[in-house]
Amino acid sequence: MSGDHSPDSDEALGTRLREELPRYTASAHLRAAIAEGAAPPRRRAAWLAPVLTAAATALVLGLVFLPLLPRLVPADPTERLLRSVVAEHTRTLMWGARHPEVIPTALPWLTQESGIGLRQVFVGDDRLGFVGAEPVYLEGHFGMALHYRDGDGHLLTYIVLPIAGLPVPDRRRVQIERGTNRWRPALMYDSGFSAWVWRQGELACFLVSDMVSEADVERFKDYFVRVRVATEPVPAN
Amino acid sequence: MASDEFSREALEHLDALYNFAMYLTRNPPEADDLVQETYLRAFRFSHRFQPGTHLRAWLFQILRNTFLTFYRLRERESALAEDGVPTWDVPMFHDAPEESSGTVEAHTDLERALQRLPEEFRTVLLLAEVEGMALEDVARVLACPVGTVKSRIFRAKERLRGLLRDYAKQ
Repeated sequence: MSGDHSPDSDEALGTRLREELPRYTASAHLRAAIAEGAAPPRRRAAWLAPVLTAAATALVLGLVFLPLLPRLVPADPTERLLRSVVAEHTRTLMWGARHPEVIPTALPWLTQESGIGLRQVFVGDDRLGFVGAEPVYLEGHFGMALHYRDGDGHLLTYIVLPIAGLPVPDRRRVQIERGTNRWRPALMYDSGFSAWVWRQGELACFLVSDMVSEADVERFKDYFVRVRVATEPVPAN
Repeated sequence: MASDEFSREALEHLDALYNFAMYLTRNPPEADDLVQETYLRAFRFSHRFQPGTHLRAWLFQILRNTFLTFYRLRERESALAEDGVPTWDVPMFHDAPEESSGTVEAHTDLERALQRLPEEFRTVLLLAEVEGMALEDVARVLACPVGTVKSRIFRAKERLRGLLRDYAKQ
């Protein structure tokens, strides 16, 4: 088509525009895309948003207050006592002893405060240094705590409480022999700390440390022997 | 989101809108984008459409305004080209595919002449003569008085005649 057909009138030109111009149509793809865009989005269930909001709020509150919630108290008396002993050890580890005293000069005062007498006491050697002694009050019992530190900086807390017949779990007992001596204390764990637990007469004894790995257990056994052999607590009646 | 009835009615004008978009852009991918953008806006703002008024004119108005918006943007970008040479291949929409530079050539003198008209002249002829739209609706699309539409149609045809005469002499 060319301009040899001279459009003189408006009508003729209009007709040419209507009839001669090619007409373009939308592709099926475009039609489908637009129709898809017109479809309303799938509605969420009306209850979903409030439930999700409530769940998220509860989760946040739980995370915020989790550290403030009281921990579940173990039903087993030994485990419950161990938890208090470990808490005392942790406190000493973080803040030091309240009134570190030097034995034997403070022994009469300690005995009076704790109700525990010491016929003999381990006051340190080349492996374990004596840090101090202090009276403690755990789970309704007065007792005595002795603190030691080894060459690697591990703090050990030896605690004696006047509790007769403390049940020592058999399945946790470990045979330790040194020369003619033989003991069967229980090796227990709480809050990332390990502890030897044993009975000595009418007293309950604990030796706590942060030595929990397999390699540390042997050394921890050695520390137990050193303390156990050289310390003889008795009720101070 | 638009109601089903609105969507169905709007889609009836798809081919007419696409044809208009092709004559505005002369580029199929850009025409696709332009029409899709038009419908996207129409569906989003369907609550602003007054039932009983001409949906067709409303859709054409959206399409033209969208075209002018992006066309002006392209013009501005072209003007900012570092070498000062307008880059006409710049797609009207930024995410347009590379094929967007494949402009459709005019095969007849009439197409060539129409293409050389300024946009406002081309648009009035396409709406009034090709689409057969009433002058009142054309005025609504162009947002101008009916008298202005008549005047533009007259001047557009004069220009078109002149161009066709020139082509006939060649």
